[in-house]
Amino acid sequence: MKHILYKETRLSALKLSYVFVASALLSLVPAYPILLGGFFTSLGIFYSFQAMRENRDIGYSLLLPVSKADIVKGKFAFVLLLEGASFIIMTIVTALRMSVLKDAAVYRENPLMGANLVFLGWALVMFGLFNLCFVRGFFKTAYYIGKPFVYFCVCAGAVILLAEALWHVPGLGALNAFGTDHIALQCGALAAGGAAFALMTYASLRRSVYTFEHTDL
Amino acid sequence: MSICEVRNLCKEYPGFKLKDVSFTLEPGTITGFIGRNGAGKTTTLKSMLGHVHPSRGEVYYFGLPCAGNENLIKQRISYSTGTVNYYPKKKLKELIAVTRRFYANWDDAACAAYLKLFELDPEKAPCELSEGMKVKCNLMLALSHRAELLILDEPTSGLDPFSRDELTELFTFLKTRGAAILFSTHITSDLDKCADSIVYIRSGRLVLAAEKSEFRARLGLPGETLEQTMLRLEKEARNEAYSV
Repeated sequence: MKHILYKETRLSALKLSYVFVASALLSLVPAYPILLGGFFTSLGIFYSFQAMRENRDIGYSLLLPVSKADIVKGKFAFVLLLEGASFIIMTIVTALRMSVLKDAAVYRENPLMGANLVFLGWALVMFGLFNLCFVRGFFKTAYYIGKPFVYFCVCAGAVILLAEALWHVPGLGALNAFGTDHIALQCGALAAGGAAFALMTYASLRRSVYTFEHTDL
Repeated sequence: MSICEVRNLCKEYPGFKLKDVSFTLEPGTITGFIGRNGAGKTTTLKSMLGHVHPSRGEVYYFGLPCAGNENLIKQRISYSTGTVNYYPKKKLKELIAVTRRFYANWDDAACAAYLKLFELDPEKAPCELSEGMKVKCNLMLALSHRAELLILDEPTSGLDPFSRDELTELFTFLKTRGAAILFSTHITSDLDKCADSIVYIRSGRLVLAAEKSEFRARLGLPGETLEQTMLRLEKEARNEAYSV
């Protein structure tokens, strides 16, 4: 697997994708829909898939002594690498906003969702949706990327709207807690996001391996 | 033991059927794979490698079924689709650096020797190479891991006569080292020079897979070249189809 990941990073990946990982820093921007950071990271990964298709990476990969399942797993490893890097940046920024910056006026008066553990849970849902809608969709044909990405955009838009709206619902204001307020609720939301991510990614991987195995290339 | 055994390979597409294709490849032999455009040569080769999913049939390499042993088998064989048509902007040295990591028996000395033999500059990218040089580039990658079986889809197309001659000489040299080579081609004069066996396919069905001498004896007429034999047989088949 390390050789496939090396190929992904050395040949397949666009440098632009790594730049887009830095969009996780958007979670530091006040009065901004910070979940867009996760969306932009996904967009960066999408660009690598686009370049990979233009460079006929699948054709090259098939020549190598790896199984079709390993090719799929390699792509997932690359996607998870970038999503993981983005999530780590978001976590660091969130830790800052939950601790030393928790009383900063710009964040206290923020009309949009703040960065807390609930936000991180939503970010994981966003990444899980990317894996489920886009990566799985791509491996249905190992060629078409437009429709899967549109599906992801629709789902991502719905998640952002939901995340931004939900804490305005009476009784759910704690979802936008500052610092360690309502920490149990925050931890629960993060765990739920993590579980959703794991479930969606696992389902996507299994389905992608199956469909790619049965796709005529 | 055969290096490769194809048994009753079938693949169905809307409008095309590959039906019960069977043949074997022996060590130290060159096999030419011939047939018209659309006869099913590439489908057969891709089915043999699992790139397309056969409807039925089995493929064995070194006595192992292809399904479930892809990694092991691909370490010992090589497949090339004519020209390098991937990563056109990456330098050859980058492609080599990545490719070599996948092969346990990659031979750097052989790679350097083939780069020199084919006059390939590792600082160049595939997009800077002529079609013929792209073919050589694919062959260089295929040969550098000392594959025991080379499956080549039209490796001589796009090559000038001198390069084709060089290539057939190289095939003959590899054969003496015990490698088996299966290559599809429309340039049957190349097979007259170097092939030991012929697999002839028409409309998805195997016409004959046999040693070249047997092929000539069964299908050829005295004094005919392979090309003349194939042309005559194709015309006969066409006339038969029209008469029905």
